[in-house]
Amino acid sequence: MVMENLGSSLRDTLKKIARANRIDEKTLNEVVKDIQRALLSADVNVALVQQLSKRIKDRALKEELSGKLNPRQHVINIVYQELVALLGEPISVLLTRHTVIMVGLQGSGKTTTTAKLARFFQKKGLKAAVICADTYRPGAYDQLSQLCERIGVAFYGESESSDAVEITTRGLAELKRYDVILVDTAGRHALETDLVLEMEAINETSKADQRFLVLDSGIGQQASEQAKAFNEAIGLTGVIVTKLDGTAKGGGALSAVAEVGTGIAFIGMGETIDDLEKFEPDRFISRLLGMGDMKTLVEMIEEEPPIEMEEAEAMLKGEFTLKDMYKQMDAIRKMGPLTKIVQMLPLGSLGVDIPNGALQSTKETLERFKVVMDSMTGEELEHPRIIRSSRIKRIARGSGVTSDYVRELLKYHKAMQRAMKGVRSQKEMQKFLRKQGVK
Amino acid sequence: MFEGLRQKLNQFKKTVTNKEHELDDAEVEASSNDAARLAEGPQETAGETYTPPAVHDDEAVGVSRSAESATQREVPGEATRTTSGRSLFEREIKEKDLEEPLWDLEIALLESDVAMSVSEEIVDTVKKELIGTKRKWRQDVGALVEQALRDGILKVLDVNSLDFDELVKKAPKPVTIVFTGINGTGKTTTIAKLAYRLKNQGYAVVLAAGDTYRAGALEQIERHADNLGVKLIKHQQGADPAAVIYDAVQYARAKHKDVVLADTAGRIHTNVNLMNQLKKIERVIDADLVVFVDEALAGNDAVERALQFNTAMAIDGSILTKVDADSKGGTAISIAHATNKPILFLGLGQKYDDIVKFNPQWLLNRLFGEAET
Repeated sequence: MVMENLGSSLRDTLKKIARANRIDEKTLNEVVKDIQRALLSADVNVALVQQLSKRIKDRALKEELSGKLNPRQHVINIVYQELVALLGEPISVLLTRHTVIMVGLQGSGKTTTTAKLARFFQKKGLKAAVICADTYRPGAYDQLSQLCERIGVAFYGESESSDAVEITTRGLAELKRYDVILVDTAGRHALETDLVLEMEAINETSKADQRFLVLDSGIGQQASEQAKAFNEAIGLTGVIVTKLDGTAKGGGALSAVAEVGTGIAFIGMGETIDDLEKFEPDRFISRLLGMGDMKTLVEMIEEEPPIEMEEAEAMLKGEFTLKDMYKQMDAIRKMGPLTKIVQMLPLGSLGVDIPNGALQSTKETLERFKVVMDSMTGEELEHPRIIRSSRIKRIARGSGVTSDYVRELLKYHKAMQRAMKGVRSQKEMQKFLRKQGVK
Repeated sequence: MFEGLRQKLNQFKKTVTNKEHELDDAEVEASSNDAARLAEGPQETAGETYTPPAVHDDEAVGVSRSAESATQREVPGEATRTTSGRSLFEREIKEKDLEEPLWDLEIALLESDVAMSVSEEIVDTVKKELIGTKRKWRQDVGALVEQALRDGILKVLDVNSLDFDELVKKAPKPVTIVFTGINGTGKTTTIAKLAYRLKNQGYAVVLAAGDTYRAGALEQIERHADNLGVKLIKHQQGADPAAVIYDAVQYARAKHKDVVLADTAGRIHTNVNLMNQLKKIERVIDADLVVFVDEALAGNDAVERALQFNTAMAIDGSILTKVDADSKGGTAISIAHATNKPILFLGLGQKYDDIVKFNPQWLLNRLFGEAET
């Protein structure tokens, strides 16, 4: 399908520029068109894409190519900077006493996210409480009260009342002694005038310090319009993007924050209560463009030491411990479904095709490996060498696998360790990936 | 609401028509050179400046042309050849004439939330339709394009058409309908609306509380069942949804009920275990109809989701919800294209009667503007 090839099409075009020693308008037009297509199929607002591509083109032609950049890096750098500018600063959460109101369209995931956020504050050591101000959807009260009960967070709601503003007033009085109070509201859209007025009233009553818009990552061209309406009504202080564990790229969220001029605070990565993660612009942009190497590339360009420099050095020195491998797997998992990640990896441009079944088994293997590693002690993770047969037996029992499986994991780790030792340049990395991919 | 496509289409019509008239004019100029000269008097620099021939009297001629565009015209002499079967008054539409306007058209489709891959395919069909078309001289190209576009979209929407009411009427009772989709698209609300509709049509309806996962899901569907006065079959939270639906069907059979509407938990299509659960439901329940529910607000991802759900449990038709949220409706085209199955209903609000049957012509009319039908 066309869509899946966008990332690799973009890479191919960029490769073309890399070979040229200056950027001519024709090639640039091609790249910009590819970037446009990538952004459009990621649900970025059409008007925004048009503005953006014009700016990218202007800058790429106007700005001098500095000595250390090749044309490809030059263009990527500009694209990256422009997207980062649109995304704004990630919103940091308050860890003091405050009130939060959660708003959004129907079915965007407000209630689930409210519970996740309460859990987040709880883990930070704050006393969190939740008010259910959704009096419209049947079962909303039960949903939120059940979720709160599961995590042991205080809950206020009135299943029989239909006045959300009054509920909020009483709830705030009731929950005075809590540090963070989260107000969940009913789903609504910009054209539902009564509901928009109700939201304004709840907002005034609650005097909320944070006003979060919860936005489905799958939303299309409506995103900016809706975000604008919510912003005009209550003045948003941030956006939370949900359902990013699916295949949606989240361009709607980009359009929304660009429209409103705020940033993204959190992303929802699954249905369980802990599946709420901090927003990371780099990862988000990589996903948007379908390119995995954005961050590394940009870091290379800026010649700033990457944050995980020590880790990277450790890997190169061959001190790649099980802990490092665990982190790596976790990082991979967080990037989204594996089938999509593989499209981002440079495998595609090397012409390596991986059958779908293989990917699924890889995903399961990764997950099982993680389970096995969860049964190891910190010492074992740091020094895998100490793991002998009795430890293997214990780990196998603890994680519900056979001893052979634990040995397989250790073997895999050794192979990775060797591979990491071998990685000295990107060329070798590609060779390594090719080997892995062909297998 | 739908200005985007309408505007772009009109623009497109204008561009193409102008271009074509330009070409026509070039032909006429060349072929009836002598006649034109006789009528208009001597030209200053032949081929550089343009003088409208007397035979033209419609609005397209009034469009101003720069000397630049005149030089871009094709070599006039070529068109006058009549030997290759091309009559004097026929002209072929060329690919390069359409490139820019077609891209604009694609953008307009994207603005209406038609997914990229689907927009491309529709525009491609239009292109193929037009290129090489031998057009009678002076025929309105705009109309030709609109027709091609309409046909292209209609072809996508009008697949394997299925009349929901007929099916419920004719199928042996109880008719079992299973609803699937990702989280928060409005499956449960849609089920309640359909239950209300079917009940009003005189059917005895049973609901199956197949969402045994989400907190509050049981209470939600229970409320609806109470409000509507229909029977609900439920197990406790965490139960096997296939078992719940099976029980509902058994109940309906024993009590001679007409329709079973089976809810399922929303699931993200990348979750293999949950998608396998759908496969199990398909194995255990012999559903008469599997309905995929998605929202009109969805963008490009609608295609991927529809494909994945269709693989897990073959979809017979789809329902598009939240159409009242000012969405453009292009998602309907994406989903119909991905599943190759029709859109059955549109959800238009939060009340029980906010559901209407989907009619492809309705979407077309909104896309192109009623005036032009």
